Amino acid sequence: MTDVATLLPDPPEEVAPPRRQHGAAAWAVWLARRLGLAVLTLWLVSVLVFLATAALGDPVRAILGRDYNSNPGRVAQLEELLNADQSIVSRYFDWLGGLLTGDLGVSLANQRPVSELISANVVNTLVLVLLSAVLMIPLAFAIAMISAHYRRKRPDTVIQTILLAMAGLPEFVIGVLLIALLATTVFKVFPAVTISSPTGHPWDNPDAMVLPTLTLVLAVAPYVSRIVRASLLEVIDSDYVELARLKGIPEKVVMRKHALLNAIVPGIQVIALQLAWLAGGVVVVETLFSYPGVGLQLVDSVRNHDVPMVQALSMIIAGVYVVVNVVADVLSILLTPRARTAISS
Amino acid sequence: MNQNSRRNRDFSRRQFLKYSGLGVAAVAGSSFLAACGGDDGGGGGGQQSSGGILIHGATGGGSKDTLDPHAPVTNPDIARVSNLFEPLFFWNNDYELEPALAESVESSKDGKTWTVKMRQGVTFHNGKTVTAEDAWFSIQRVADPKAPLSAGGQLSQILDSGSTKVVDETTLQLALKVPYALLDSLLAEYTLGIIPTDFDVANPVGTGAFAFKSFDPGKTSTFTKYADYWGDPAFVDELQIQDFSDDSAKVNALQAGQIQTVDNLPYNLIDTIKGAGGGVLVAETGAWVPFTMRVDSAPFSDVRVRQAMRLIVDRQQMIDQTLSGYGSLGNDLYAPFDPAYASDLPQREQDIDQAKSLLKEAGQEGLQVELFTGDDIGSVAPAAANLFVEQAKLAGVDVKVTKKTPFYDDNYLSYPFAQDFWNTRNYIPQAVVGTFPPDQGGTYNETHWDNQEHLDLVNQAAQTLDEAKRTELLHAAQEIEYNEGGYIIWGFRQQVDGYGTNVQGLEPSKYLPLGSYKFHKVSV
Repeated sequence: MTDVATLLPDPPEEVAPPRRQHGAAAWAVWLARRLGLAVLTLWLVSVLVFLATAALGDPVRAILGRDYNSNPGRVAQLEELLNADQSIVSRYFDWLGGLLTGDLGVSLANQRPVSELISANVVNTLVLVLLSAVLMIPLAFAIAMISAHYRRKRPDTVIQTILLAMAGLPEFVIGVLLIALLATTVFKVFPAVTISSPTGHPWDNPDAMVLPTLTLVLAVAPYVSRIVRASLLEVIDSDYVELARLKGIPEKVVMRKHALLNAIVPGIQVIALQLAWLAGGVVVVETLFSYPGVGLQLVDSVRNHDVPMVQALSMIIAGVYVVVNVVADVLSILLTPRARTAISS
Repeated sequence: MNQNSRRNRDFSRRQFLKYSGLGVAAVAGSSFLAACGGDDGGGGGGQQSSGGILIHGATGGGSKDTLDPHAPVTNPDIARVSNLFEPLFFWNNDYELEPALAESVESSKDGKTWTVKMRQGVTFHNGKTVTAEDAWFSIQRVADPKAPLSAGGQLSQILDSGSTKVVDETTLQLALKVPYALLDSLLAEYTLGIIPTDFDVANPVGTGAFAFKSFDPGKTSTFTKYADYWGDPAFVDELQIQDFSDDSAKVNALQAGQIQTVDNLPYNLIDTIKGAGGGVLVAETGAWVPFTMRVDSAPFSDVRVRQAMRLIVDRQQMIDQTLSGYGSLGNDLYAPFDPAYASDLPQREQDIDQAKSLLKEAGQEGLQVELFTGDDIGSVAPAAANLFVEQAKLAGVDVKVTKKTPFYDDNYLSYPFAQDFWNTRNYIPQAVVGTFPPDQGGTYNETHWDNQEHLDLVNQAAQTLDEAKRTELLHAAQEIEYNEGGYIIWGFRQQVDGYGTNVQGLEPSKYLPLGSYKFHKVSV
């Protein structure tokens, strides 16, 4: 997480400005190239995921444990499910074909379709991540603006110290502290875990969403906030803000219109990376709160050596990474006048 | 005579039921008394109130979860199966047989024909009456000779399906290929619940005190109270079994009052639960994590070396350190709850001098051995292995621990010196799987034990209907293992479960966690 700032792509320079094309057509070409790259990335991921799961060792043996030698019937049944007799190349293309047509295969652990097993968990994780994002983004920007406003004065120092301390805490520690504080030991105001309702969703009982969401917000907000503050300060020191001030525009308007809008782009990139990280990385939080999401399911599937499940979940997590980054790139371009005109001119 | 005593027992039970009017009232009454009197039961005394939802936090579970009545895999599966379905007999809390869906079972003189009388007036959750036909269907499903399920291993070998007859609605006559004295114990496993002949796993219908409502593998499952239950109906209206992949999440939920019971409380969290006003239920079990020495491989092929290794172990220290004290002493014999358990053999204790002199006699002073262990045996195993290294040093034995990942690979069953895990079983079934040659049922004979005298004694006992005679034979068999066997059985684990403040009616059971998961006895 600490090196994300240096990893930030700089989308305006990444794009070679297409020439002699106008407006929509130029945009379409740019977008098609960007999407083509995304698809290529996903394809590479699919090869890696498949090779990695194939290298995990004999899944049949792992599933049956000490019953392997005494239950040849079950061994044969599982090997058939896995098409263990075919070559790895033809298994890969079978799997890829299924993936493209929406057939994710059948879970080895319980012989039910993978898509049926993971759909609810995917939705649950997306809701948790989006809910956290919706709360985290305004909070992080507000803190950054307050902090930048009081640059190097006491409020700024206090805020930065707190943020730094919180950014240093693993989300696991934050979660444990919140549970002890609000669920079990000090106050008993919120549920400590999510008790799944069999037909509904975790958010049917909104109380149960509070602690996991809060944990994620507290884990991510400090980081985003610090990046946004840094870019705000950079913008505030720039010539055009200086000029706006000299023109006599009120400080509030300067901050909102001139400074904030220009500081948003780096913010978007950080948020995108954080969201993508959340989609695959909430496993700790899901485990702690027994929240039925993809992270928990991925851990369970790896433990079961349930190859089709691991493959499907890995692809979904990779897909979220790629999609979020494409969206962030598009937004960055749209919000950067120089890059915007570079494409359509 | 065993046959007579069995008949007497059933007769007296039936009489008791008759005298107390309705069978249901009798069961309800006795469980009420037990609930009031049990100090070690949940929440202490006081009358149990009806209503409410009981949410059980089950350890583990995941996408492997299944509702199959005869092939439960995970802890939550076992809890589900125990509440939905019922076998013909129950193991009660003292690990003794009790009639359940069967009223009685009687054997012919030669032990080859067993007549099961079904309890009358028992209905499935769909209202259909339970018949002998259903019982036979269920037994066949479990004891399929081609692919026997967990309760059917032994059954599939001895059942003579062709000669078995459903005599009438309530009578099933089971025919065996060979005499088998303990058939009723094979019919009492929780993995042999009786299901209707038109059973559908998507809508599992059983006879238990709770009826199926919903199931989401790896997450949760719900059940409603079955009002027409033949025994005492449940106190709670609804039962929910929630999976927990993480121990601290489970305990946090119990502390926050979100769930009422948890199975397999980690030892380090016992005080946390007590501090928060919850209760801890401790029950004896017959579960063991032995060291296994291959009797056909040097240096363990010398019985003196095996005995020396057994004398090296400080059993109490093993229990104190690897089980946090929650265990009972082992005497290198398994099946401690078997009526024929040889409890008169002297308790083996650490005796380093004796061990040293045995090793010297065997010419194995300064012995070096490799001990194989692995996390997939259970967390107790690596801890016990490391402790054994320390204890062995006292006798000058150098033990090198090799941790395998996974332990249960192709080399399992061929390690000269290793560990394994076993759950509660009686002597004969355990001896068959653990000490018989592989072609005679010994699927997990880790010690490569191959002792004709022992095998004959066990086989003879399995065919002996006279209980006193059988006990004698089994005693002789245990004596052989005590003196020459390849197992070091240092102790039996105690089951530790937790429950919330208002929970009442839980009693410790030697069979399964949380009073054998009989949640209909629990009120919240």
